[in-house]
Amino acid sequence: MSVRTRRPGGTAMSVRTRRPGASAVAASVDDAGGPEAMGDGGSAGATARHRVRRARPLVVGAAALAVIVLITLLSGTGEEGAPLSPENPGPEGARGVAQVLADEGVDVQRPGSFDEALALLDAGPATLFLNDARQYLSATQVATLTAAADRSVLATPGARQLTALEEDIELVGPLPFDPGNDTPPPEAACTDSRASAAGTITATGSLYSGPVECFPSAADDGTGGLYVTSTEGSVGVLGAPAVLANRSITADGNAALALQLLGFSPALVWFEPTGADVVAVGEGIDPLTLLPPWVDVLLVWLLVCAVLAMLWRGRRMGPLATEPLPVLVRAAETAEGRARLYQDARSVEHAAATLRSGTLTRLARRLRVDRSAPASEIIAAAAHRSGRPRDELEARLLHSPTTNRELVPWSQGLLDLEKEITPP
Amino acid sequence: MVITGRLVLLALLGVVPVIVYPGITSILLWALLLTVLAILDLALAAVPRRLGITRTLPDGVRLGEECDSALVLRNDTQRRMRATFREAWQPSAGARNPEQSVDLPRGEARRRTVRLRPVRRGILRVDTVTVRSAGPLGLAARQITVPAPGVLRVLPAFHSKRHLPSKLRKLRELDGRSAVQLRGAGTEFDSLRDYVRGDDVRSIDWRATARRRDTVVRTWRPERDRRVVVVLDMSRTSAGRILDEPRLDTGIEAALLLSVLAERGGDKVHFLAFDRRLRARVDSTARGNLLRSLVTAMAPLEPELIEADWSRVPAEVRAASPHRSLVVLLTSLDSGSVEEGLLPALPGLTERHVVVVASVRDPRLEELRADRSTASATFRAAAAERALLDRAAVAQQLRLLGAEVVDAEPAELPPRLADTYIRLKAAGRL
Repeated sequence: MSVRTRRPGGTAMSVRTRRPGASAVAASVDDAGGPEAMGDGGSAGATARHRVRRARPLVVGAAALAVIVLITLLSGTGEEGAPLSPENPGPEGARGVAQVLADEGVDVQRPGSFDEALALLDAGPATLFLNDARQYLSATQVATLTAAADRSVLATPGARQLTALEEDIELVGPLPFDPGNDTPPPEAACTDSRASAAGTITATGSLYSGPVECFPSAADDGTGGLYVTSTEGSVGVLGAPAVLANRSITADGNAALALQLLGFSPALVWFEPTGADVVAVGEGIDPLTLLPPWVDVLLVWLLVCAVLAMLWRGRRMGPLATEPLPVLVRAAETAEGRARLYQDARSVEHAAATLRSGTLTRLARRLRVDRSAPASEIIAAAAHRSGRPRDELEARLLHSPTTNRELVPWSQGLLDLEKEITPP
Repeated sequence: MVITGRLVLLALLGVVPVIVYPGITSILLWALLLTVLAILDLALAAVPRRLGITRTLPDGVRLGEECDSALVLRNDTQRRMRATFREAWQPSAGARNPEQSVDLPRGEARRRTVRLRPVRRGILRVDTVTVRSAGPLGLAARQITVPAPGVLRVLPAFHSKRHLPSKLRKLRELDGRSAVQLRGAGTEFDSLRDYVRGDDVRSIDWRATARRRDTVVRTWRPERDRRVVVVLDMSRTSAGRILDEPRLDTGIEAALLLSVLAERGGDKVHFLAFDRRLRARVDSTARGNLLRSLVTAMAPLEPELIEADWSRVPAEVRAASPHRSLVVLLTSLDSGSVEEGLLPALPGLTERHVVVVASVRDPRLEELRADRSTASATFRAAAAERALLDRAAVAQQLRLLGAEVVDAEPAELPPRLADTYIRLKAAGRL
């Protein structure tokens, strides 16, 4: 038997289906109206192939999205973009200093974590350069590191991070902004030989106070130095780390200071802490450890159950049925549209004329006056019927309002007049 | 393939082994168990492709009434089929229970009915039946959608039927059956009979009275075998909705009442649905029940978004009835469209026929006209007033051209049109 079907693809095709037991069909269908429909003319394999074909654009799209996400993730992991990174060749980076130091025979090491940095410092005589712009490390950690290091240079540490140091170094405040760049670069003016060797440096960053204050400047909260060091010089705080940046390393005595500070020992540990180095404060218990061991597994299984439930509820019983809707328009819509036109155009007089002629037409019909009669005749008849003076009716009917405010009471007056003049 | 709620429940039962033996192994084992059971169930489920579906639909159902779509489902497989099926009726068919389950032993057939209560006149369609056949465990099912097209004709409701008895009584009063004959109640001479008190003295036939000793009066009866041509305008103006009904549906109600009344009154009825060309035509002279053929022809009519071509109407009317007839035009009195379409074509009709133009008046316009509470409302009142004045002017123009105008609200239009017909018949103007 040949069945013409419409496949979802939109092409009409003729499919031959086998109908075993066709005689039984004829017997059972005797009382029925239409022909018997059986199957959709396809097979499970064909349906699966069709599904796959239909889902192909979706799969391609998802794959493309995954590739894009992957590429973004992979390319975004490098730290070359961070300021004062020894790998960053940009204006904010510090690759210049690191390379010069390496050329001079200093072994520049970059530990990935606090423990690694500590191990490197313990291994041998090394200078620590701690660049912790986001202040991940605690005061204790900073103190531990400086104690382990031969010499250490801290780049703009926070006030909190300095509290555990043996030396009495404190944060004074940021250097005031100097838009005109007209103050001369500060001079060393201290006993520290390395700072004196540099002479002058570019004035940026924060001021610190301590045993030896170099490059003194004045801030809002007092005076301090851009480079502060302990008396014997083992711990130094560099308030102006920008002197190391590629942008400004060649200005003033910046390069001299940088090489003096970082090139003291045969090894330089250039440590940039990350969020992973943050230690939890206090003796709290991790709440996750209180949960029984099966919770994680259970959550995974419940997720699987949720996916199954979505598949169960999400499957529709066949395609949606379409409803061909007829065209329907509200008949009074044209009148309402015209009303808005009147209003937008502020054609008060036009509206008033229309309302007046409507009232006059109805009055004429009620008073049995010819509908083509002039207004004066209708008004005369109305005056006769209502017993009101003719002048008053004329004033009420023939008055022309000019504003919206006048129009509303006037038109209400027309309605009242119509009610008053009832048919005989 | 479809999974069932039972499979999800079984999956949730997996919580027990996961808690008792925590670890990835219990998850994998339980997932394996679910997969094996589901595949087994699928393999054991009867093939829904081998389900024969035969549908029986009534020829037509009147709007507002219920009907059944009867399905005979025959299991052509060697397995028992636990099936759920859904008949994909379009929403306006108002299917009460489109989704049902049926348990078919092998080789047997079962009958299921889907109760329909259509909410819209017209041709309603069903294209597919979706069958879902579950396995013996009820964990998974196979599903296919079978193309099984069907058509249900939903006929107009004919609410105005309730006016029919009173109008028929009025019509009979015109006939020679009532005791008191009024002159003018019909123009065809019927018979002579004895004078009874109350008869109009003007109807005394003096010649017959002279022949006999008793006073004899003439009785009259209304003309019979006249022709009524109902033209239903299906153009864009008929799509306008007034109250809850498009103009077209109100026109259909009025046309049905008038046609049935005229047929009972002994006249021949022709119905034409028209926009730019003839959409439907029914003649009472054809075989079969007039009402039945009328509602069948009217069922699929939908407003068309085109302008009516009235210049072709006289020719169509002449083709339907070459003699003098009562031509009823069911249209709208919106100024623009009438002035350009109907007015020029009307003289061609009025010179041969008696023409009645029937139109639905929108009660909303009267409401808008009376509301003058705010500035916006007053502007709306002015616009409504303008529409009503235009309408009155158009009606007046139509009357000047010799047409009768019936302008009434939706519920009033069918009886008013019937009254006009009875009046014209009584006056012998047909």
